[in-house]
Amino acid sequence: MSYTWNWGIFWQGAADASGTWLHYLLGGLAWTLATTLVAWVLALASGSVVGVARTLPAGWATRFGNAYVELFRNVPLLVQMFLWFFVLPELVPQALGDAIKQMPPPWAAYVPATLCLGFYTSARIAEQVRAGIASLPRGQRMAGTAMGLTLAQTYRHVLLPQAYRIILPPLTSEFLNIIKNSAVALTIGLLELTARARAMQEFTFQVFEAFTAATVLYILVNAVVVAGMRQIERRVAVPGLIGGSGPRTGH
Amino acid sequence: MAMIEMNQVSKWYGAFQVLKDCTTGVDKGEVVVVCGPSGSGKSTLIKCVNALEPFQQGSITVDGVSVGDPRTDLPRLRARVGMVFQHFELFPHMSVVDNLTLAQVKVLDRSREEAVQRALRYLERVGLKEHAPRYPGQLSGGQQQRVAIARALAMDPIAMLFDEPTSALDPEMINEVLDVMVELATEGMTMMVVTHEMGFAREVANRVIFMDRGEIVEDAPKDDFFGKPRSERAAQFLSKILRH
Ligand SMILES: Nc1ncnc2c1ncn2[C@@H]1O[C@H](COP(=O)(O)OP(=O)(O)OP(=O)(O)O)[C@@H](O)[C@H]1O
Ligand SMILES: [Mg+2]
Repeated sequence: MSYTWNWGIFWQGAADASGTWLHYLLGGLAWTLATTLVAWVLALASGSVVGVARTLPAGWATRFGNAYVELFRNVPLLVQMFLWFFVLPELVPQALGDAIKQMPPPWAAYVPATLCLGFYTSARIAEQVRAGIASLPRGQRMAGTAMGLTLAQTYRHVLLPQAYRIILPPLTSEFLNIIKNSAVALTIGLLELTARARAMQEFTFQVFEAFTAATVLYILVNAVVVAGMRQIERRVAVPGLIGGSGPRTGH
Repeated sequence: MAMIEMNQVSKWYGAFQVLKDCTTGVDKGEVVVVCGPSGSGKSTLIKCVNALEPFQQGSITVDGVSVGDPRTDLPRLRARVGMVFQHFELFPHMSVVDNLTLAQVKVLDRSREEAVQRALRYLERVGLKEHAPRYPGQLSGGQQQRVAIARALAMDPIAMLFDEPTSALDPEMINEVLDVMVELATEGMTMMVVTHEMGFAREVANRVIFMDRGEIVEDAPKDDFFGKPRSERAAQFLSKILRH
């Protein structure tokens, strides 16, 4: 194999003349993070709403929630990406569809990619929120209700704070999943980290350097996320509960 | 004056009838003990009083307010009726004092300072003031149940419902909880207590209700009940639980 290693490539000017290849990759990382973070906020918000809906006494809310989860969880992510990018603009009223198609380049891919990742992940979060609430003793809901809290107050102050603590570890994995899944956005033309590593490889033929750099950047981001979530877990730990800190007295 | 009145209350789970024409009442300041075999509907009966369980027939009023009336503001009604559960149901993610202030602030709109003051007063009453900043998971079962009673009292309830408050406790902790309940009873609290602690019933109950298969089989003043239960089933039940 006649491969010529060239780690100095990162300091050479990139093909788009915006700076070095390192700059170019870091720019991709920025798009990856921008996609991930906004999708995460969207996923957490809508996933929580749908997850709560599935535990409400009203039957229609549960059915809506179940249908939502099945829809977004069972269609492959790649297909959903294409649906948001190619099909949605044709389905909405024409004026809106045209507006979508006329968005300038990075946004034309960024917006559907973020929505796609957000909703795809929201279904998975909804399932975790539902399971977290369902795992609480039935008496907790009853105790909240019995002291006069409304249903909304019981969720806000009694059920959700406990459920979120329980599902914090799986939520961490979902966050890591969004980061990884954001690479699928390259199929609709978003120049995020993976897309740029591939572009660099095509221009420079330094395939190993390009993808090593991308790998290292992904791993670094993951490490930061994991450390951050650990910090949160520690901060919300409840003394006397499993996983909590502090001495347990009594028996 | 009747604080709780139940008239011909029936309830079904699907085709299964859990409560059959239950009629009884609790006067102001009265202590009524409810006993009966497992599955006889005791928990269901007292959960109907504060509408934790809906019922299909009959009527219940609490301090003159109809529980089954769809126009009744149920959260307001429930806030006036304290409830203590078998498994305490303290909120494990909140400190003891926060457990006591939550509903005071959210339901009764008391200021945080006032709520804390009251919380500490009731914690002192059940002998747990110094535990205020701790978490439920750091307390023993008996302590948790006393906190749960204090939590209900902090709402200034007009009546208290207890669903087997001591049956999840280790034997050595039962008395610390019963002592608090006896004190409450002697101070004139209106109480409806599901329990098999016949010592408690003998000491403070005014009346004892015996349930079997969803029916109120016996509803008698304490002395009559322990003296000569009128029904065969109640006599059998009593002989079983009084033997040990
Ligand atoms: N949600 C429910 N759905 C169907 N049946 C129920 C439900 N809750 C209770 N039951 C049934 O109703 C009957 C009465 O239950 P309840 O809990 O009131 O009895 P209990 O007298 O409190 O018994 P225990 O001493 O075991 O607490 C039981 O046969 C029980 O199986
Ligand atoms: Mg029961």
